[in-house]
Amino acid sequence: MTNLSKLLCALGKADVDFILVGGVAAAAHGSPRLTQDVDIVYRRGADNLRKLVSALGSLHPYLRGAPPGLPFRFDVETLQAGLNFTLTSDLGPIDLLGEIAGGGSYEQLVDRSISADAFGVRCRVLDLETLIATKRAAGRPKDIEAIAELEILRGRSGFR
Amino acid sequence: MNSIDEIIELYKRDVDVTLIDECLKRTVEERLRALQDFGEAIDQLRAQTAKAIDKSK
Repeated sequence: MTNLSKLLCALGKADVDFILVGGVAAAAHGSPRLTQDVDIVYRRGADNLRKLVSALGSLHPYLRGAPPGLPFRFDVETLQAGLNFTLTSDLGPIDLLGEIAGGGSYEQLVDRSISADAFGVRCRVLDLETLIATKRAAGRPKDIEAIAELEILRGRSGFR
Repeated sequence: MNSIDEIIELYKRDVDVTLIDECLKRTVEERLRALQDFGEAIDQLRAQTAKAIDKSK
């Protein structure tokens, strides 16, 4: 499980533009479902990539599931050359997403996110309606139970 | 209604709304802290269980 508080503090300290999506966003909205990793959509601008490298570079990010020893440099060039990165790190698994199905990029999602304070960091969380839409768009059988829960939550919700 | 919607509706019958309502009483930070604390507790339990299994071999 990712150390969420330390991760958010690292991202906040470096002033990274990001949106929490996936299971952690669902938890922020009130889902009691447990999740193992943190998914964020990050802004792809060069200045933000530099901030991302500054925030996470010292945490030894490495491609999750890649054989040990495979060359991987976590730098701006690597981030520019790719889009979505599933990583391990000293703080646990982190998924850095340039885009998500059913939602798109940071710029497309930022107006569909909510600002929230957690662990002393102001961060953006994907809104519940869009979170449900992205999970539906992903079309993964494993998300069906989560979608059912989020749709019920939508009827009872209050973002506090 | 398409089949995915029908399946989702079936799953809704088994959603424990009491857990959702408990979560909704908390602030966002409290929800995220609970998620992290529970995750850490499970990690510890896994480690202790693995150790116990090793010992019993």
